[in-house]
Amino acid sequence: MNRSIGSLIAVAVAALAWSVGAAAQQPIVVQWQTANLTESQYEPVWKQTIVEFEAANPGIKVEPVLVARKDHWTKFVAASQARKAPCIVSVDVTTAAYNGYLMPLDKYWNAEPAAFRSAWSDAMLSSAKWKGQLYGLPIWGGTYAEIYNRDLVVKAGLDPNKPPQTFDEYVAWGKKLTGNDRWATAVLGGKTDTTTRVLLMWIWANGGEAFNADMTEATFAKNPRSLEAIKFYLGLADKSAIAAPAPTTTNYLEQTNLYAQGKIATMRNAYWAIAKVVGDNPAMAGKSFVAPPPANVPNAPTLSTVTASSISASCQHPDAAWKFIKFDADRKWSIARAKVANWMPLRNDLADDPEIKADPLLGQFVRIGRNARSYPLPHPAWAEIAANDIVDAVQKALLAPDKTDEIFRDLDARLTKKLRDI
Amino acid sequence: MNARLRRKAGLAFVAPTALFLAAVIVFPLAHAFYTSLHRVRGLNATFIGFGNYARLADDATFWHSLGVSFAFTASAVALHLGIGLALALVVNELRAARTALRIVFLTPWMVAPAVGATIWLWLLEPQFGVVNYLLRAAGAIAAPVAWLGEPGTALASVVAVDVWRGVPFVMLLMLAGLQTIPIEQYEAASIDGAGAWTRFRFVTWPNLRYLVVVATTLDVINTIRHYDIIGVMTGGGPAGATEVLPVLIYNTAFRGNRLGEAAAIGVALLGIVLVLAVVYVRTARLDDGTRR
Repeated sequence: MNRSIGSLIAVAVAALAWSVGAAAQQPIVVQWQTANLTESQYEPVWKQTIVEFEAANPGIKVEPVLVARKDHWTKFVAASQARKAPCIVSVDVTTAAYNGYLMPLDKYWNAEPAAFRSAWSDAMLSSAKWKGQLYGLPIWGGTYAEIYNRDLVVKAGLDPNKPPQTFDEYVAWGKKLTGNDRWATAVLGGKTDTTTRVLLMWIWANGGEAFNADMTEATFAKNPRSLEAIKFYLGLADKSAIAAPAPTTTNYLEQTNLYAQGKIATMRNAYWAIAKVVGDNPAMAGKSFVAPPPANVPNAPTLSTVTASSISASCQHPDAAWKFIKFDADRKWSIARAKVANWMPLRNDLADDPEIKADPLLGQFVRIGRNARSYPLPHPAWAEIAANDIVDAVQKALLAPDKTDEIFRDLDARLTKKLRDI
Repeated sequence: MNARLRRKAGLAFVAPTALFLAAVIVFPLAHAFYTSLHRVRGLNATFIGFGNYARLADDATFWHSLGVSFAFTASAVALHLGIGLALALVVNELRAARTALRIVFLTPWMVAPAVGATIWLWLLEPQFGVVNYLLRAAGAIAAPVAWLGEPGTALASVVAVDVWRGVPFVMLLMLAGLQTIPIEQYEAASIDGAGAWTRFRFVTWPNLRYLVVVATTLDVINTIRHYDIIGVMTGGGPAGATEVLPVLIYNTAFRGNRLGEAAAIGVALLGIVLVLAVVYVRTARLDDGTRR
């Protein structure tokens, strides 16, 4: 009896030791979620990044989390609430940090050599900070400009070397570019924050402001120049009749589809949209040219997005996650991203890189981006405001243009309340 | 085994199920109610009592969403029942191909709602969608229709897709009910010279009435909680035209990051469903009484 109990204990101890040993040999797994892993042009690059990272770090395995762009934020929030968020994420830093979803990275950042840190400007880093702490490493970005289909412009008898400079010139071009089952552009009113990005640019281009300086008050209707710009932009679909139908369901995906199929001649977007268009329709390669967004005031800024890699607060292996973030921020991958997906590197030391300079369109976007405001706007409620409230107001105004004043006055009141409720 | 022991044994057998149900139903419900009493911003929560409920009562978006929920549910359920019953009557009359037809009609119900909704999203796409293409080819429309871009057509479209998916289940229920009606009743009615409509009115309908009430109540409970199709196709837009309560909960919780308010809406929705459940249980009991 005693002997069999002893044997049983020995077997149990051996099994335990084996399982502990096996667990020790298991690589650390870190999950990686961004809104861009599902974009086909980027796929070969991120796959290769993971392969090379895992080869260089045999103890770490990176598991990509593929999620549709529109579900990226909500999936991250749901996972964060369950304390199971992927380790490496690219989200709206201010909103996520305010909600406690991200880990401060200062410990890792400060431990890096000066040579590494000097590749990021203070201004760039400030876009990934909340209350003085760093919550993300800016990896890539995109400047918004007006992108034109050269063939359609020439066919309409317009000169690609003299793109429209003002709102009126834009409409004049638009009328010539609109024809049977074809439109000059697309007004964005779909339910993502791309709608908000484009609206903000039109407001800035008219000398308006959507918010006051410290973001405690919304001024979409309060500022007459903002309201004028909103009416002009949304009126492209109705009054000017130069935009594709169904603006309330049109977003990045629909806009780039329309442009790729030659249904619209111009689109307000970043350089990455050209990569998407060529991916959808290879015949569009080399057919686009780019110009600064038309503006009614001198030196109107455009918009530049900043995508930063962060570590979620629930990450069990932050050291491994930081290693991957650094690896992914390396020159090699920054250039590869710029080449295949047209995502602009945000490192100082790559601005003059010969491979970046060799791409004339990218150079043009860089020049336009010298006068750009950083996006997302720095407010903890920004993710909701940008994707819900502003989009809802845009949709309502598109459906009832005669009520635009009232709709945006309501938006101002609603947003001002939200901006102060933190 | 004496009565006390038998009772204890019974409790012991029931205990695992009771514990499981407590874990998957009671605890989440209690937690949702607890959350609804807090102002939640991300991982930070502050107790505010019934503040979220007071806010809801004052929130035009909530009342609008409740109205959309009722409109969506009423139209979808009416169509499920009308079309489901009509199809069941047709299939019940068939002698050949009944099984094959049953499988064909059931296909939409077998497709995952999100998959079905995605397919419809592309079918209804204004520029490249098949629906507009066919309608234009047939000369029914001159210009592309933004099915999901206008409030009226968006609500009608999501109702139509829900009907496409929901009818088979109701049809199956009705078909099962039709097959329990004794053939002698129809024979007697025919001998009395009853036509098709009279047979339906005086034989089929009285026999199906209980089933219709049960199916309606169950369908209302199911439809008012529905998220998938609307979530995928419109996300509640345009401008809130299709924002039923479950979609509002999702948008408030995960887009708006206001989990406390979302939980309060969830509790309100639960209240509505509970009232409907009581109606269902009472109907079922009433019928038990009649049949006994």
